[in-house]
Amino acid sequence: MERISFAVKTIILVFLAALILPLLAGCRGIFYIPGASYGYYIWEEDSKVFVEWSADRKDSKFDGRISTDGKITGYDLREWEEENDVIKVGEDKIDFSATLNDKDYSDGFSFTLKDYTYLDFDLKINDGDLNRINIGGFLENPESNVFRIEKDYFSKLKMKHWYQKHPFSEFFSKLFSNKYFTFVYLFILGIIIIEILRVTVLATRRKKIIWLAISYTALILVEICIYFVLKFLIR
Amino acid sequence: MKLFFNNLGKAVLTKDIFENKILSRRLYKYFLTGLLVRLIFLPFLFQRDLLSTYQRAAETVFAGNFGSDFQQMLTNVIHSIYLFIIKSIFPAINKLSPVLLEKDTWISWINFNSSYNVFTALALFKILYLIFDVVCMFIILRLSFDGEPENKLQVFKFWMFNPFVIFILYVFARHDIMGILVTLIALLLAKKNRKYWAIIVLSFGIALRFFPIMILPLFIFYLARTKKDYIILSVIGISGLAAVELFSYFYFGRSVIFSLLNAQHFDYILSSKLELVIHDRIFIFVAVYIIIILSFLHIRKKSFDILLNYGAIIYLTYVSLCYFHPQYMLWTVPFLIIIFIRRKSLLYYHWIQFALLMVILIYWGDLVTKFVFAPIDYKFFIYLTGPIPIIIRFYDPAKFVNIFRSIFTGVSLWMIYLIYKDNKKMLTDELKDKEN
Repeated sequence: MERISFAVKTIILVFLAALILPLLAGCRGIFYIPGASYGYYIWEEDSKVFVEWSADRKDSKFDGRISTDGKITGYDLREWEEENDVIKVGEDKIDFSATLNDKDYSDGFSFTLKDYTYLDFDLKINDGDLNRINIGGFLENPESNVFRIEKDYFSKLKMKHWYQKHPFSEFFSKLFSNKYFTFVYLFILGIIIIEILRVTVLATRRKKIIWLAISYTALILVEICIYFVLKFLIR
Repeated sequence: MKLFFNNLGKAVLTKDIFENKILSRRLYKYFLTGLLVRLIFLPFLFQRDLLSTYQRAAETVFAGNFGSDFQQMLTNVIHSIYLFIIKSIFPAINKLSPVLLEKDTWISWINFNSSYNVFTALALFKILYLIFDVVCMFIILRLSFDGEPENKLQVFKFWMFNPFVIFILYVFARHDIMGILVTLIALLLAKKNRKYWAIIVLSFGIALRFFPIMILPLFIFYLARTKKDYIILSVIGISGLAAVELFSYFYFGRSVIFSLLNAQHFDYILSSKLELVIHDRIFIFVAVYIIIILSFLHIRKKSFDILLNYGAIIYLTYVSLCYFHPQYMLWTVPFLIIIFIRRKSLLYYHWIQFALLMVILIYWGDLVTKFVFAPIDYKFFIYLTGPIPIIIRFYDPAKFVNIFRSIFTGVSLWMIYLIYKDNKKMLTDELKDKEN
C-alpha cells in the first residue's frame, strides 16, 4: 500500500508541476517573461499605469497611441532603445513606436495621470491578434485594437475571483454545460473510491453495510453540492 | 451459478491468485486504484494525434472513405467500428461529425477543444484504449511466474501504476495498446508452445502496428524445432503484412510496404549512423539489432523468460539509439515489468526514464506540451507561453533537451546491461539445476 501511495503521489505531483505555469499566469494577473511571452501587458500599480510589451525573440513592431480626458503628469521609460524606439508624450496623449528582436526582449513605459475618467488605447502589434493585448490580467482582451477603459477598470478587475478567470472559468463552464457527463463521471469516480475504502479501511470494521450506506449517501450529497457550487461559479 | 463465477474468477485472475483471498483482495485494490488514476486523466487531456485518428475513422464512418488511413488500415478499421458504435449510442458524437470531418487541422482542433461536450467525446474516445489496457493487464498476469502468485501480483501492480502506460494511453492518448495486446496474446501462445498460433497472432500484430516485427526473429528462433519450422514460421510471420500489402495493392492500387518504407517513421530506425567515406555508412541500430538477434540464436536452451528479456533489450535499444516518439516507450513496458521482479533496480531506472522523457517531450513543441491541456481551456493554453520560448530565452533548447536525451540513452543502455546480467544469471542457474 505504501508503494501505491508513493505512485499516486508521484502522479499527482507531476500533474501539479505541469500546472504551475498556467497557475502562475492565471492567478498573478500580469505575469510575463520578457523574451518568451508575446504581446502587450497593461496594468496599474501605485497609481501608475504600465504599458509594456514583449516578443519571443522575433522581429516585432509595437506601436500605438494612448489618449485621455485628463492630464498626463509624468512618465518613465523601461528598457527603451533611443535608436529604435520613439515616444512622444503630450498633455493628454502618448504616441509610441518600438521594435523588438532577438536581442531586445521587451520595452515599455509607465505614466501618471490626474483628473481623468477614461483612457483610450489604439494598440498595434505585428499580426493584429487581439488576444495578445492583456489589460490588467492574462487574457483580459479588448474586442478591438481601439478600445477604452474607465478609471475604475483595474480596481473592478481586482474584484474578479479566481474562478472567473481563465482557465478555471472555461473549465467550470464546460463541466456545468455538460452536466450529464460531469455527474456520471463523478459518480463513477465516487464508486471506485468507495470500493477502495471498502476493501481497505472498512474491511476490518463491523456493520459494513451501514458504512457503505453512509458512503453512498455522502457521494450523492457531494454530487448535489458540486451541482450548486458549479452553478454558483459560472453564474 | 457459483461454479460459473468461480471458473470466471479463475479465468480472469488466474487460479493461484483467485484461490488466495488475501492476494485476490490486493489485486482488486490495485485494480481499483489504477483504474481511478486512469479515469482522472480520461476526459481532460489529449494530444492532437488522437483527434487525427478519429478524424480518419470519421472519414470511414461518416463519408464511407475506407482508405482514409491506408498505412494503418487495421487500426483504422478498429477505430471506425468503435466510432460507429459510440455514435449510435451517444448523440454527442454525432453532433461532433462536422468537427471530425473538417479538413483544416487547426480549425478542427480549435472547434473540438471549444465544443461544450469535449470531455464526453474525449472520455468516449479513450475508453477504447481503456478496454485494451484492461485486457492487457490480465494477460500479463499469465506471462510469467507460474506457481508464484505473489510475483504475479507484483507484475500486475507494475502495469497498473506504470507511468508510461498512464501517460501514453490517458494523457497522450495513443493507440499502441492495440498492437501490444495482440503481441501479448502471441507471447502467451508462445509460452504455451502453440508455435503456429503464436506466429499467426504476431503476424496480425505486425499488420496492425509494424512494431512487433522487431521481435519476430526472436519468436521464430524460440519456437522453431526443425529446419522446416524456420521456413514455415518465417513465411507465416510476414504473411500478415503480405496480406495487407496485397489488399492495399488491389483495393487502393498502392503499396503499403513501400509507403511505410518511404515514410519518415522508417527513417527513425536509420537515424543513428556512423559516417564512413563517400556513401558508406553504418546504421547503428541495425548493426546492434543483428548482434542481439544472433546472441539470442546462440543460446542453446532458450527459456520463455529469456525471450521476454530479449524483447525488452530490443525495444530499449530502439529508444536508446533511434529517434522515437513517446508512445514507442510503451513497447518496452510489458517486458520490463516482468524483469522488475528479478531486478528491482530496473524499476527505479524506469521511473528515471519517465522523468527524462517529460523533459525530452519539450522539443516536440506546443502540440505535446501545453496543447495537451487545451480541452480545459483552449484559449488559455494557446496563448500561454510555451516551454521552448522560455528555454530559448536562456539557453539553446536543442542542446538543453539533448543533454536529457543523452542521459535517457545512458540510463536505457545501463538497463540493457542489467537485463543482460539477468540473462546470464538465469542461464547459469539453469545449468546448475541440470548438474544437480
